[in-house]
Amino acid sequence: MSEAAQHSATLGPAAAASASRGMRPAMISKVAGWLLVLALLVAWEASARLGLVKSQSWPPFTGVLRAVWDGMLTGELLGVLLSTMLRMLKGFLIGSAIGVVLGLLIATVPLLRRFLSIVIEAVRPLPIPAIVPPLILFLGIDDGLKVTVVALAVTFPVLINTIGGVDNIDGTLLQTARTFRKTRLETMTSIILPSALPTILAGMRISLGLAFVTTIVAEMIAGSAGVGYFIMVTQYGMRPDQMYAAVICLAALGYGLNWAFVSIERRLVGWDQRQDD
Amino acid sequence: MRKLGRAWPSLVTCLVIVAIWQVASDREVVNPALLPPPSRVFPLLWEMIASGAVLAPLAHTLGYLAAGYALGCAVGISLGVLMGVNHHVFNIFEPLVELIRPIPKPALIPPLFLFLGIGTTTKLTVIALATFFPVLLNTIQGVRGVEPVAVNTARTLGHSTIATIVKVVLPGALPLILVGMRVALGLALILVILAEMLVDAKGLGYQIIDLQRSFGITEMFAWIMILAVIGVLLNAAFEWFERLAVPWRAK
Repeated sequence: MSEAAQHSATLGPAAAASASRGMRPAMISKVAGWLLVLALLVAWEASARLGLVKSQSWPPFTGVLRAVWDGMLTGELLGVLLSTMLRMLKGFLIGSAIGVVLGLLIATVPLLRRFLSIVIEAVRPLPIPAIVPPLILFLGIDDGLKVTVVALAVTFPVLINTIGGVDNIDGTLLQTARTFRKTRLETMTSIILPSALPTILAGMRISLGLAFVTTIVAEMIAGSAGVGYFIMVTQYGMRPDQMYAAVICLAALGYGLNWAFVSIERRLVGWDQRQDD
Repeated sequence: MRKLGRAWPSLVTCLVIVAIWQVASDREVVNPALLPPPSRVFPLLWEMIASGAVLAPLAHTLGYLAAGYALGCAVGISLGVLMGVNHHVFNIFEPLVELIRPIPKPALIPPLFLFLGIGTTTKLTVIALATFFPVLLNTIQGVRGVEPVAVNTARTLGHSTIATIVKVVLPGALPLILVGMRVALGLALILVILAEMLVDAKGLGYQIIDLQRSFGITEMFAWIMILAVIGVLLNAAFEWFERLAVPWRAK
């Protein structure tokens, strides 16, 4: 859980804090930071234009931007990105649903926990690329495979966080529910689920990043469609401007996904104090 | 021993899974050509271990994993400490870090491949990059979270900046640094296997994908099991290391 919070933390708020210490020098170093980015981009552009890097695979930065623009206009890149997002979303939703349901079961049924916990710990560290080749044998290389791989990758963090969330519920709440003779189902929906929700959502946030990466990994290994495949094909086909264009779009998407999920999360569990930990 | 006592129900589950797998394969509920029964996978696995055939790919993978991971951690912690301690350094590097960080690291394998060629350097770079970011972010947070009183005390007692960093800041930030390193270890393992599948001709990842393509399915499953064991062992080793490094932060 704390892994989740730490890993996805951004650098933003702390920067504001440090700015108040010394206003002017801070402004200067901030500008310097952006100048550094600009300088690197200029160096990229110049090295390609002036032929300092003599390579087929080193297009100028403006050429890459052009490839982004063209890819969006012709719809080639846009279509590829959309198909990846769609697969990712399917896998994410299926995996999250399985993770939450299985997590709630394991957390509330002691027998299940005893028989499953170490099995889960044993399967979890298996790196995701390794499960793609065997699954190809059964599912082929189409969407079914990729959605399954993503769902599998997503399930575990959600599962672990769901169990953690339920375990951390204040015992008094559960005793109160029992005192009021709530049924198991009522306790589940009115106490356990809402109390565990912040932790579950934190798990889903890591899983969203994982789903994104996993979709691309699966598309790279079992290529038939999507951005992962597109990057591989443009690399082999020596179309580096399009390859870099796809990588830039992926960065933007990754950024956007995290931002979108954080906004949704804030809306759903804005009441939760632990958020600020 | 107590751990073993808690483990037995899970062992039962494992045995049940293996039994179902065996029966399903024997009765051809699943195609045994695609999912060979444990009675064929386990002997082969044993043979591979006994003959030492596992050693070369295993050493290849673990060697690159260790090198890339160590590199990523070293750079991540160093820059993280600098960025955490000095806000100018932070301001200078923040935009660059924030621009590169969201790129899914697997997508960097093909571009790196174009520059660094097949195999080793590409693999090392991508593992180090994947390791770098979680370690960097957690180190910055960890350094920022160090008790200011402790830092001021060290200064009052006449410690130099470097001594303060080594004696006060680093130990204080260590728990969070380790959190980042743990996340990074999982990522590094994913990247090493993926890179071997895509741009290398050696190692566990290559074995698995090559055997799938040449239809050496039984052997492929044996390699996957080895990889699963490696994953569990790495996790266990990290936990042991974490307990050793920050004993005061018992879970």
